[in-house]
Amino acid sequence: MHPMSFEGTRSRIWRASVSVSAWVLITGVMLSACGDLGSSPAAGTFAPRTPGVLTVVTSTLPSPGFWEGTAHHPTGGLEYELARDLADRFGLKSVRIEIEHFHRIVAGRLGGADLALDLITPTSQREQSLDFSTPYLDAAPTVLVRSGQPVPDLETAQSLRWGAIRGTTFVGMIDSMIAPDQSLQLFENSPAMLAALKANKIDAVLFDLPLAVVTAGRSGGRLKTAAQLPDAESIAAALPKGSSNAQAVDSAIRAFTSDGTLDHLLHVWVGSAATNGASSIPLLHTTR
Amino acid sequence: MIVASVFPISIAGISVSSPTGPAWEFLVLFVVVIIGPPLLQRARLPGIIGLLLGGYAIGPHGLNLIGAGNTTIPDLGQVGLLYLMFVAGVELDLGLLRVHRRAVIAFGLLSFTLPMLFGTAIGFSLSWGAPAALLLGSLLASHTLLVYPAVRNAGLTTVPAVATAVGATVLTDTASLVVLAAVSGSQLDGGGPASIALQIVVGLGVLLVFTLVVLPRLARLAFRELGTDRIVRYLIAIAAFLAAATLAGSFGIEGIVGAFFAGLGLNRLVPNEGPLMDRIDFFGAAVFIPIFLVTVGMLLEPSVMIQGETLKLAALFIVASIGGKAVASGVARVRLGFSPSEAMLMLGLTVPQAAATLAATVIGFNIGLFDQSVVNAVLVLILVSIVAATLLVERAKARVPVPGKSSRNLGKRVLVALDDPRQAALAFAIGARIAAPDSGVVRGFLACPPREADAFKPQLEQLRAAGFAVGFDTDPALLVDPSLAEGVINAAAVQEPSFVLIGQRRVAAASALSSPGEAVAAYSTSPVAIVIGDATGIREVVLIETERSRDAQSDDTAVGLAAELASRIGRRRVSVRKANELPNTGELSRGQLAIAPATSWEILAASDPPTGAALLLVLEPRLPFDEAGAAEESEAGAGEPRQPAPAEVNPEARR
Repeated sequence: MHPMSFEGTRSRIWRASVSVSAWVLITGVMLSACGDLGSSPAAGTFAPRTPGVLTVVTSTLPSPGFWEGTAHHPTGGLEYELARDLADRFGLKSVRIEIEHFHRIVAGRLGGADLALDLITPTSQREQSLDFSTPYLDAAPTVLVRSGQPVPDLETAQSLRWGAIRGTTFVGMIDSMIAPDQSLQLFENSPAMLAALKANKIDAVLFDLPLAVVTAGRSGGRLKTAAQLPDAESIAAALPKGSSNAQAVDSAIRAFTSDGTLDHLLHVWVGSAATNGASSIPLLHTTR
Repeated sequence: MIVASVFPISIAGISVSSPTGPAWEFLVLFVVVIIGPPLLQRARLPGIIGLLLGGYAIGPHGLNLIGAGNTTIPDLGQVGLLYLMFVAGVELDLGLLRVHRRAVIAFGLLSFTLPMLFGTAIGFSLSWGAPAALLLGSLLASHTLLVYPAVRNAGLTTVPAVATAVGATVLTDTASLVVLAAVSGSQLDGGGPASIALQIVVGLGVLLVFTLVVLPRLARLAFRELGTDRIVRYLIAIAAFLAAATLAGSFGIEGIVGAFFAGLGLNRLVPNEGPLMDRIDFFGAAVFIPIFLVTVGMLLEPSVMIQGETLKLAALFIVASIGGKAVASGVARVRLGFSPSEAMLMLGLTVPQAAATLAATVIGFNIGLFDQSVVNAVLVLILVSIVAATLLVERAKARVPVPGKSSRNLGKRVLVALDDPRQAALAFAIGARIAAPDSGVVRGFLACPPREADAFKPQLEQLRAAGFAVGFDTDPALLVDPSLAEGVINAAAVQEPSFVLIGQRRVAAASALSSPGEAVAAYSTSPVAIVIGDATGIREVVLIETERSRDAQSDDTAVGLAAELASRIGRRRVSVRKANELPNTGELSRGQLAIAPATSWEILAASDPPTGAALLLVLEPRLPFDEAGAAEESEAGAGEPRQPAPAEVNPEARR
């Protein structure tokens, strides 16, 4: 081959390779812009206990703003919609809801459900029997009282009759941060506890801020949020210990956080009062 | 948690509770930053691995000293990531990029495209979705100049292969970040493909205009108006990348893209060897970047890392990334004519996966595209790539010859020596324009007789203010020596300037025998020029072309140097005036700077320029000793002194 011809061929190959490289880059960018938005094995795989169905366990239905309707006819709520979004992402056709006592859920008894969505705060004790996803909400413990009951300071708070749901982190929190004069009354679920509050059997309870705001808002003026405690708690999905689905649920919640899905759900089902509550509800200075 | 299980301790009524709170968390963090790297370096492993392992040790999967619910440390880590990308942009040598642009473009495209193709193919073969597969390809295609300091210390920065690899980093990392922006945009924006593409294109356009056009102007203005305080100059740089990251975020583009472009935008304003870069490097190396790496280490989960799936992924990533970079280096060696050792050096420089790779991986993780096993596989890749790169560069740098001193970086380190602070504004304006194309630094010196330093120190403030006025922190110092020439020669020996500018307010300051500038020119390997006059601004440059100019056009002569200086200082406002000898400087008008190659006789013949104008006389550069010695021996005979000693050159130059 003539040297010039060889040089020309090499030059053409070179130009072609540079051109191909540029096109690959452009195509890559365009492809990514057109790519599907769903889950892929890179984000973990989800294997439901019942094929095609996401089974979710929770303790109370309805739970204002978080689970609306009944177990057979759910009508919405942040955690219910989150469950539906999870099912969509994992390619599952439906969501089945199961009910279980809160203290049994946090003890790891999920009753065959794939996961639990029940405003659960991960703790080291609970991590012994459950796996937790990355948090999907942060919420300050908020004091809910009957309207007309002020809680301006710790001394007033200590003089109140407190109630809490068995198994929640609020039980220890009330003991250590408020240390009430009278012993704490424990309840199996939130409807029973709220009934006691309205019936003047107890004076104050703790709820996570969004739930407290929605509950007060729907009480017809009988209940109000009086104060919030320092140190917001993380709220996460709970999975059976050793679940192979943890990575997929984690990835999904990270995706829902970054793409604004969770903010949207919070806005729709809890409203701006919950997000503004952090600044409008006074802080209660506690014993620690 | 180990600490929590030990506490609380109660002895004799004294209760000690377990350490908690921000002070404890930051203490733990900084202990890792302090002891992690040296421990690993003792085991002959890169210090970065110490930070990653330290992060694991204190993180939720280790001792859980910093729990999963902590948001402060990860937030600080995110700022560290932005900082890292900003530093990557600001440190890139744009001068080298310009000189070797063809090789840079070719190698940059190859070293991006091949790993990108291999990585994307691996993603698809694993049944990943298109966004995840493309993001994998892009993160394997990027690289970080982690072993560049070793190459720089070996004096190989001007080797074309090194310059090519360094310049290619701009392309590979920019292309990777563009893919990252596209992928993350596609995940975060709920619109259709067309609106997502439009959003990204418009967002990138706005970002490029802001970072490369608006930001440098704003920063230059801020440096001039507010930047007399060094803390403020540093904070301006921080604010610049945070602003760019915020703007990027507003368009759904990841903040690191904005931070990287902000670095490119401020590249010329923050010279690599300047005091501001020192501060950026210092805080980055001491706080922000280690914290980012520690937070990445907190993601490490050994139980996942040693799983078969993770190791399989890691092996595939290693083949795609290092294999792609190796093929790119091999092709570039054949096509661009590099030696095998140079190709190995290029490979060593482009193999390390760290900053951009981590950034893309963490973002892929945060937006739910990647799970823990992908993150851990990438971390295995990072460990392997760093070790491989270290070994490759160590082998290659011993075989690549160290090049001689380059004459192209005239503005890399400009030394300005004055004996009258009234010339500071003019001299620093000239120095700044010479330094700008090379992203160089300007150092200022004020000559001062021995035992009079205290009296001269207040005048340094004048020099400092004049430097800040042209956007440079000249970090002025006193040059204490009985002779200006000797003082400059001594300073030049320490500073190794690329160019020396000596101030001389009046022509009469030079004697019939010689000027301090000539003495310096005789003994310094750096080009030297003398600026005469006290103009405060430069409106136009007049390049004087004498008979001698037409006889000697080489770049290595005073004539060539004068032409280059005219181009740098005057930019587009250069006029050429032909003359048989130096013109009457009285003809110059206000704002004009005449530049001419000159000898001492010509200096004497020249008259003082009128008020507001100035004259820059470029002296003949000294030949290297061996060449000069040989030339003179043949002409003058052995035993004759080649050059008079500085003190002998010009007794008048002594104070």
